[in-house]
Amino acid sequence: MNAEQFVILALGWAGVFLPTALGAIGSVIGCARAGMAASGALLDVDSGYGRLVGTSALPSSQTIYGIVVTMQMNQQFSEKAAPGLFAIGLLVGLALLFSAMLQGACCASAITTTKSKPEVFGLAIAPAAIVEGFAVFAFIFALIISGGVAGAAA
Amino acid sequence: MTSTTNYYQLVASLPHLPVTFEVSRVPITRIQLEQRLKMLGDDDRIVVEQYQRFLVWDRQHPERTDEEFQSEYDRLMRTIKNPLVREMVNHRMDVRTITCGLRRRRLGLSPPTGVGQYVDVIRSKWRDADFGLATKLPWISALREALEAKRTLAVERQLLLATWNRWVKLSDAYHFSFETILLYLARWEIVDRWTRLDETLGQQKFDQLLREVLDGHASFNA
Repeated sequence: MNAEQFVILALGWAGVFLPTALGAIGSVIGCARAGMAASGALLDVDSGYGRLVGTSALPSSQTIYGIVVTMQMNQQFSEKAAPGLFAIGLLVGLALLFSAMLQGACCASAITTTKSKPEVFGLAIAPAAIVEGFAVFAFIFALIISGGVAGAAA
Repeated sequence: MTSTTNYYQLVASLPHLPVTFEVSRVPITRIQLEQRLKMLGDDDRIVVEQYQRFLVWDRQHPERTDEEFQSEYDRLMRTIKNPLVREMVNHRMDVRTITCGLRRRRLGLSPPTGVGQYVDVIRSKWRDADFGLATKLPWISALREALEAKRTLAVERQLLLATWNRWVKLSDAYHFSFETILLYLARWEIVDRWTRLDETLGQQKFDQLLREVLDGHASFNA
């Protein structure tokens, strides 16, 4: 195997793990933001603590999506399939990263709203659910396309 | 080592401010607010303290000389680096200069020397009812009318309203940031000022009622 082949295959393997890595980074940032908001809100409320802290865990789902995509892509692949896998892994990873970060901000906003008006919790959390929807789109199409890339290369 | 502020935690720990400042009590007491502000990092604390010192200066001795006014403004502009705090100080100074102009004209005096972006405008349009600023600053007309009617409370309300609306508009652009905290403090200060004003009026009314009752009691015994 020459250097060029090595780099191409390394990029392919990076593409396999990128969804998990970037999804996890996004979840860390998102959960941290929402978690910090939840712990701040605890100072200002007398009840409903569980709901506030529970909301802060929403951005963790991106890591799960990343793991599933990585597991789907984690198989022997040819040199031809490596660039495609890298591109898919990177792009879906970025989608998961940003969706988790911004979902964390949505959750933090929902937490600050809910502490004053608990009755609007369902509506306040809706923006976070919408962001989640886009992460799901990226996740599903990554699964579909990654299977196609491996097959086409073969 | 310089500590940093956890903006998400601090912003979420502060209770929501009311839609209007015309409420009977502040949503969080000064002591509680000071406790929450202990979450600020070192650099942010310095800026907040600068702004709080300005607010204290702004609240005390409203009848200062133009020289004192100019000197304090120059000192603030030299020491304050944060763009939002500079903007907030400038806004308060503009409000002061315009109010000063309206008062001086009513007393038949010359235009104020003052500070801020409107000094030259006030001088050039001294005879214009609202200094030609009614379109840009719609609150001037209401303030002028309240001043002319010598309604002290209405004057104070218009001044606070002008500043409140400015802070509300600015705060729409910030979420979970240092600017959010600064604007929260600025709006809290207005609510606090209004409730104290109300408290003073309540005290005056109570004293007046007490005097009336005591006078009535004295005349009854006589």
